[in-house]
Amino acid sequence: MIVTRSWLNEFIDLSEVSDEKLYETFNAIGLEVDSLEKIDIPAKVVVGKILSCEKHPDADKLNVCQIDVGNKTLQIVCGAANVVDAEYVAVATVGAVLPGNFEIKDAKLRGVESAGMVCASSELGLPEMGKGIMILDDSIGELEIGREFGSYDVVADTVIELELTANRGDCLSVYGVARDLSAALDIDMKAFEYKQAEKMKLGIAREAEIHSEGEMDADLCYKLATLSNVTANFLLQLRLAMVKVEAEGKLAKNLAYVTHTTGVIMRAYDSKAFANGEGKVVVHIRAKRPGIIEVLGNNTVFSVAGVSQSDAATAKDDTEKILLEASYINPDTLVEAVAQSSEKTDDLYYKTSRGSNPDLEFGLKFFAFLMDHYTDINCYEGTLNIAAERDHAKILVDAAEISSIIGMEVDSNKIVTILQKLGFDITITADHVIAVTVPLFRHDIKHIQDIAEEIVRIIGINNIEAKPFVFAEKARLNATTDRYKAKKSFRNRAVGTGFYENVSYVFSDKTLLEKYGFAVTEEALALANPIAEELNTLRSTLLVNLLNAVKRNVSYSKKSMPLFEIGAVFESNREQSEVISFVFSGQIENENVANAGKPAFIDFASFVKKVGAVIGAFELKTCSVKNGLIHPYQSADIVIEGKVCGFLSKLHPTVAEAFDIPVTFIAELDFDALLPKHINAKPISKFQGVYKDLSVVIDKAMRYYDVAAVLNTLDLPMLKDIYPVDIYEDEKLGDKKSLTIRFFIQSMERTLEDADIEAVMGEVMSALETQCKAELR
Amino acid sequence: MKELEEKIVQADSLETLEKVRVELFGKKGILAGQFAKMKDVPGPEKKAFAEGLNKNKAALQASFDARYEVLKAEEIERVLKSEEIDVSLYGSLAQKGALHPVMETMDKIIDYFVALNFAVESGPMVEDDFHNFEALNLPKYHPARDMQDTFYFKDGGLLRTHTSPVQIRTMLETKPPIRMIAPGTVFRRDYDLTHTPMFHQVEGLVVDAKGKVSFANLKAILTDFLQYMFGDVEVRFRPSFFPFTEPSAEVDISCIFCEGEGCRVCSHTGWLEVLGCGIVDPNVFKAVGYEDVSGYAFGLGVERFAMLMHKIPDLRSLFEGDIRLLEQFR
Repeated sequence: MIVTRSWLNEFIDLSEVSDEKLYETFNAIGLEVDSLEKIDIPAKVVVGKILSCEKHPDADKLNVCQIDVGNKTLQIVCGAANVVDAEYVAVATVGAVLPGNFEIKDAKLRGVESAGMVCASSELGLPEMGKGIMILDDSIGELEIGREFGSYDVVADTVIELELTANRGDCLSVYGVARDLSAALDIDMKAFEYKQAEKMKLGIAREAEIHSEGEMDADLCYKLATLSNVTANFLLQLRLAMVKVEAEGKLAKNLAYVTHTTGVIMRAYDSKAFANGEGKVVVHIRAKRPGIIEVLGNNTVFSVAGVSQSDAATAKDDTEKILLEASYINPDTLVEAVAQSSEKTDDLYYKTSRGSNPDLEFGLKFFAFLMDHYTDINCYEGTLNIAAERDHAKILVDAAEISSIIGMEVDSNKIVTILQKLGFDITITADHVIAVTVPLFRHDIKHIQDIAEEIVRIIGINNIEAKPFVFAEKARLNATTDRYKAKKSFRNRAVGTGFYENVSYVFSDKTLLEKYGFAVTEEALALANPIAEELNTLRSTLLVNLLNAVKRNVSYSKKSMPLFEIGAVFESNREQSEVISFVFSGQIENENVANAGKPAFIDFASFVKKVGAVIGAFELKTCSVKNGLIHPYQSADIVIEGKVCGFLSKLHPTVAEAFDIPVTFIAELDFDALLPKHINAKPISKFQGVYKDLSVVIDKAMRYYDVAAVLNTLDLPMLKDIYPVDIYEDEKLGDKKSLTIRFFIQSMERTLEDADIEAVMGEVMSALETQCKAELR
Repeated sequence: MKELEEKIVQADSLETLEKVRVELFGKKGILAGQFAKMKDVPGPEKKAFAEGLNKNKAALQASFDARYEVLKAEEIERVLKSEEIDVSLYGSLAQKGALHPVMETMDKIIDYFVALNFAVESGPMVEDDFHNFEALNLPKYHPARDMQDTFYFKDGGLLRTHTSPVQIRTMLETKPPIRMIAPGTVFRRDYDLTHTPMFHQVEGLVVDAKGKVSFANLKAILTDFLQYMFGDVEVRFRPSFFPFTEPSAEVDISCIFCEGEGCRVCSHTGWLEVLGCGIVDPNVFKAVGYEDVSGYAFGLGVERFAMLMHKIPDLRSLFEGDIRLLEQFR
């Protein structure tokens, strides 16, 4: 919503209020100022009167004007075609410096002396007002020849753009904004009084009638008038340009001006379209459904109240007799009806959907007032009306309750004053309860907290003293808080291990996910309005997004790319869970003197170490997961406490090639499996233990995980630890391999004797022989 | 004697000194030779002779020890020096990753509220109309729904447009008093220089008995919170509108870039908008079946906080895993 200072001043006296104060006040009362611009008209630009205007002898498009600028008459050559229609104009005299540092000097144009320039609006820093120069009239005040153009307040105005919240339809007019200011600045509104001189005694009922069918939550008010010589005065055009309201034609401009000023929705029709056989204007109003109110003439729909108007019957500048309409429709009913019926809406719908001014008479009167001065208008007496029966909302307001919501004592007189200024009707009951009647234009006010908001706005939040809330102690460390803390610790460990934390969209590319064998959202549950092709499904893995991040980093010339992310993934039924994923691509470390500038690339063992440094101990076994990213021979299930909770793999080389990235390792596991568990400590032996190595020959296909599984089932309390330390294969061994396992043997009760060690190793060997077909090497 | 003394002092390496030691103190050394002469010394002079010899031996031993210390120290220094490296070559070897600035900012926000006895709550990203809109006093066709362009699923589900549905879920599951924050990922169907389809919010909610929670309380906690996050800034509250709070306010801090002078970042206003807040609308309490309660709620965008706090110019870069950005936060 754009307003100007002088425009507001028509309804509230702002002479004592500075622009700074206006700016502060608007922000303080919740009408956020987007911009505030004071228009500066350059000095030495004055009002001039064109005395004569003749064609330039040597140029078709130029005119030579004699212009009275008060103390002298200037000869000025003007290129604008509309100068021939002008009487009063703005003249930049010699010495004036126009925007763009353009100084006016004496000049010769095609041999003719020119001592100044006749100005177009944009040449003076005013908004564009159409082709040609400005043709002034007394709408800006008395036209005094030679007077500085910038001394007219309505020209050197301050333009203020307000960002309105969705509930403030009442401020979509200059009048509405002024009303809010009136409460905030404690300045009374100027009364708007206008009574048209009675030029025509004819009552409207003789000429027109109105019928309606169906239930409607709308008010419509019609007036009939004859018009000739429709004019759109200079100020009206200038202001419409300032507030960026566009309208085609003079009549339309006047209507738009009235709507912007009063907030009343105004339309005009050619009355002929409604005339029946006998020449009587018959307006038919039909509620197609609650909220869709059609206006018909001769069975043709000419407009839908608050929604749109067809061109067919719209009054033009040369229409002799117009049917003028002011309308109000309950926005709640309207918005729902429009959404359901998908009616096409025009520019006015923004206002009607947020609640236009229901004071229809104000709109009609203002229109008559505006037209009266510049246009020959004759209105028929009276109006044709349709008005919905409405109960005005009443709210009982207790000053104590308002004070407790705000947290500050607010006096009930203060509440009454503020609400009255804002246009609320107040009655005070015997027991000091304030009964507030909510005006129709504040359809957003429904209960006492809405009233509290009005009070807060006007007294100003910055005048409310902050008070810390006093509350009862209570432990609030719940499972979500614990989970958050665990997550934070894993994130910090990942960072300590060298990984960068990635955050990617929860969306992914459906084609890519499908290509690599990951789940996509079921068709029936899929996103209906994805924002882009590559973000068209919920991700079921973080890895594709991480690989895309790696790809970008490769293009930024990065060589070592360790990334991790903890985030939500979704199964095809949209079940949400959380995973932690790692991607390590390229060099294992940055180039440095320690690796002579040639660091190794990430490999399986190094990646396992890094992932382990983050998530803690795990076992690896042959990979059971299947997807297109996995390397079939360098991949593993991650097993934590006997449960498979994710996988780790070299990225399949064809995928690395497709993404155009170097050697890469990936891991993804269920974050829930990592959540900290309770641990009970085991007793520690005081006696010395021994390490024993055993090299056995087993089938090449046999995995250490299976060998360990056999050894783990042995009930040998002295066998404290088992781990592989070497693997050896050669031609002589054929389809066998040699595996060296190290054992740590220790007793809880005593110092080991050779017999103890032999007993343990004997059982180990026999288990290996019988269950793994192992032979001692 | 002087001559011998000189030999020790002249030794310029441990090796030479060792030769001198053998020559002087060895079994066949000069001193041993002297002591051997003892037997030829007549009785009465023997004592004096022996004393003289011992004195000389002690003096030589002392010189020797002193010389040894010096040469040993020189030797150690030589070995150490041979191991010298240019330490400055290795400064950049340590490789630490970095937390994402948005997540790190979220941590800081959560830490603040947890320290003030707020519980952390969470909810699903895929929501329904009731939790995301209806219960938050955003009925269908409400113009305020326009403010939030929503991602819908074909079955009518939607991606939550704010973390506010977590308030609703928490209130439906527990009884007041409530003191919670809901950090989380949210979605709006918007993508340009200043909007991404996904971002993060932290929502706060306090509910207690009727008459207990006031707007003044909200002012107190948010002013303190913003000064904790941004340092010594001015905090300004502006009335605003949110369907789920009444009265509502937007909260600005004085511009941290120009300190209120007016610059491009603050659109020459001197203020930066950082928060929305208000007193919980009675319709929200009605939707969850709460009676005779009062409460406040607030919500903020984590990306905006992160960008302001760390002067990150481009929102979209936050979602690209760009190591050039991330490595600055090591």
